[in-house]
Amino acid sequence: MIPITIEGLHKKFGEVTALAGITLRIEKGELFFLLGPSGCGKTTLLRHIAGFYMPDSGKILFGDDDVTLVPPHKRNTGMMFQSYALWPHMTVAKNVAFGLEERRMPAAEVKKQVAAALESVQMESYADRKIAQLSGGQQQRVALARALVIRPRCLLLDEPLSNLDAKLRLEMRNEIRRVCKDSGLTAIYVTHDQKEALSISDRMAILDGGRIAQVGTPEQVYRRPLSPVVADFIGETNFIQGKVRSREGAAGFVETESGVFEGVFADPNWKPEPGEAAVLSVRPESWILAGSRAASNSIDGEILDSIYLGELAQYRFRAGAIELKIVEMNPHLSARARGHRLFASANRDDVVVLKP
Amino acid sequence: MSNQFAKVVFALTAVFFTLFFLWPIAETVRGAFVGADGRFTLDYIAEVFRNPLYLEGLWNSFRIGVFSTLLACLIAMPLAWMSDRFVFPGKTLLGALVLVPMIMPPFVGAIGVKQILGQQGALNALLADLGLLNPQAPIDWLGEGRIWGVVALIALNLYPILYLNVLAALANVDPAMEEAAENLGCTGFRKFRKITLPLIMPGVFAGGTIVFIWSFTELGVPLMFDFTRVASVQIFHGIKDIGGNPFPFALVVVMLAATVLLYAVSKLTLGRSSHAMMAKATSQGGPRDPGLAVRWFCSLTFSAVTLLAVLPHLGVVLVAFSSEWYQTILPSGWTLSHFEAALGHNLTLPSIQNSLKYAGLATLLDVVLGVAIAYVVVRTGLAGRQILDALAMMPLAVPGLVLAFGYLAMTQEGKFFEFLNPAVDPLVILVIAYSVRRLPYVVRSAAAGFQQTSVTLEEAAQNLGCPPLRTLRKITIPLIAANLLAGGLLAFSFAMLEVSDSLILAQKQQDFPITKAIYELYQLLGEGRFVASALGVWAMAFLAITILGASLILGKKLGAIFRA
Repeated sequence: MIPITIEGLHKKFGEVTALAGITLRIEKGELFFLLGPSGCGKTTLLRHIAGFYMPDSGKILFGDDDVTLVPPHKRNTGMMFQSYALWPHMTVAKNVAFGLEERRMPAAEVKKQVAAALESVQMESYADRKIAQLSGGQQQRVALARALVIRPRCLLLDEPLSNLDAKLRLEMRNEIRRVCKDSGLTAIYVTHDQKEALSISDRMAILDGGRIAQVGTPEQVYRRPLSPVVADFIGETNFIQGKVRSREGAAGFVETESGVFEGVFADPNWKPEPGEAAVLSVRPESWILAGSRAASNSIDGEILDSIYLGELAQYRFRAGAIELKIVEMNPHLSARARGHRLFASANRDDVVVLKP
Repeated sequence: MSNQFAKVVFALTAVFFTLFFLWPIAETVRGAFVGADGRFTLDYIAEVFRNPLYLEGLWNSFRIGVFSTLLACLIAMPLAWMSDRFVFPGKTLLGALVLVPMIMPPFVGAIGVKQILGQQGALNALLADLGLLNPQAPIDWLGEGRIWGVVALIALNLYPILYLNVLAALANVDPAMEEAAENLGCTGFRKFRKITLPLIMPGVFAGGTIVFIWSFTELGVPLMFDFTRVASVQIFHGIKDIGGNPFPFALVVVMLAATVLLYAVSKLTLGRSSHAMMAKATSQGGPRDPGLAVRWFCSLTFSAVTLLAVLPHLGVVLVAFSSEWYQTILPSGWTLSHFEAALGHNLTLPSIQNSLKYAGLATLLDVVLGVAIAYVVVRTGLAGRQILDALAMMPLAVPGLVLAFGYLAMTQEGKFFEFLNPAVDPLVILVIAYSVRRLPYVVRSAAAGFQQTSVTLEEAAQNLGCPPLRTLRKITIPLIAANLLAGGLLAFSFAMLEVSDSLILAQKQQDFPITKAIYELYQLLGEGRFVASALGVWAMAFLAITILGASLILGKKLGAIFRA
């Protein structure tokens, strides 16, 4: 169990900047997610940690051990590839044994450890199968066993669930969290699926254009995004343009076309002057619909249309020039017909003021 | 680490090509342009174009090249089209059998053809038997029409190269392209001419260029037909006084210029027009059942072409088994003694040994070089790797005759490479000559293997602690073994059958490879052609066993060998 430290990592491919100064610390035993839209640099960063890329500048430390220039085969990381990268010319057991054999472990011991590793992913009865004879989910388990059996210093997962169907994906993501927590390994998990990240990560970093946009726990990132990019990428949100009127500590007032809103400033480093442009981010489920105006943060408008999903309903709501997405749990559909005039309001705590 | 490895491979390959590809060519070019006084001169080249003998030789070579290529196209394209479109009885077997001619050297077949088409041969005997010919005035089929015999023999031997290229190109055509044409009212031959043909043109030219260069400079077949007014044969005979005669040099340079020019032109004009398929095939094309009549017509056509193509070799087999074959349709007497004689003759056993040694070593060199080059080209980001790729492909554009001549020129007394003089010991120079010419096939098949094998399979091994070179050995090589075997086998077969290098570079009897031994035996009076045929049959049997063995190892992937 080691922490992983990344200091000022830069990487260019030709003219394209892939990483523009990444600094990050991943605590020991943490299940840490790298998240972002495609092309944001998350896979590039993971491949730097695995050693398949050398940075142009910057450092990578495993504990106190500087591994920046160490080739991949000497880093002792266990990686799970998006395509699993199981070798088709070897059996399941041979695949899992490979890393141990590379470490010159006695054959009897290899056998014991392979059996144990396969058992831990419930694949013990498939040891002699060829890879082509396994289903996607089974291959995924073998890939996990192969990465874990070498007792790596950290586990690297590159979109490990993207080739599975939706149902299996749900099952396997809990399985991965269980295995990580059982082994106590520091794990770095790359994905573009925010649901995966929100549901099982300890902390996550959202990357954008080769930079880190935000690091935090799922709740921090979801409730207090530091920028419109993060707010937009994680979950759904409504943006309302405005101007800062005043600010007191973490809270403040923003003037918009639809009235004055009171919200919280997520980024403590941003200290806007009154009159400076700002953007509000309000999650669809934060809006409360009511027949009368609330005390604050309230706008009136009409329902444009609705989609009923049983436990919740989604509405399009027009208030003046802006259009909002609103989600209501346990919906009262009879009072939400198209053209119905209503008031939508949000708690101060659910209104995030961001630098545009 | 791997970048360092890439640089080492690049440097070694560059040195190898400079020494054994550019140097011999440069030596030849020098011989053609530098006079006895050491000054630059155009006299020799000019003389080649003034001397009617040389001009006729070049003209005949050119005609052989053009007509052989056209004839090969004519044979190969309908076959490929039928195979792509239709299912017919025995398709798998027939599809494999049409490739058989490729594994037999055409110049051995020439012995059989002469037996069949000669004045006292089987065809005239048949016509006489049928009362269509006066036996006292036999037709000399190979007299004035000798060039057509050469063309037919070469085309029947080389059409598989075109067949495989066209077949691959056809398979790449999205059926939706043709369906779109039909939808707009264009069908039948018009559709083929306006849609299909332009789409497969790059494949046709890729194969056609190889066939042309091959037949343009073919040495063995005209030699066996005693057709001396061909540039390649003139060069071969000029080698005897290579030290003092500049005209073979000039002739070689003219041929080299012609092939390189053609190769460049076809690359530039037709390589460019390779139309990328915009989308993945949307509909399942696949061969369809064309109905009873067409079905059997396809089977018959495939059988007929195969039979025609192996006829020369059947002739050789018959000659090998015959004690007497003169003015009769079939041999008038049978014997096994030639096979014994072939094995007992002081030329033959050593020649088989030599061929195995040369071809084996050359194949080994090809596989090592091929894997290294393909690895650098496909797997590393080394600047200039495309140059390496182009370098490895260059031997395709340069005829074997030219290189063989160059090797001889650069190892003459007083030259830097005198220590490799083939008159002393041809081992090194023959192994190099064999391997340089076949390197493109091995590089291509190894590169295809690397491209088909996901790089993450290698990364996974490194991630688990396996260093790069060991990863190559434990993961990559086993995964691309089929490709390497295919490329290696092709290289080995072609090396065993190699004619120009063997005839030119092997000069002492104990160094002769099989092909030269057959040629020399054939020159002997009396039993000569029978023993030569018997040795030819031994060689064919040997190659057939090699291919069969490989097909057992490869299973169903045999076809992939010739698609390398």
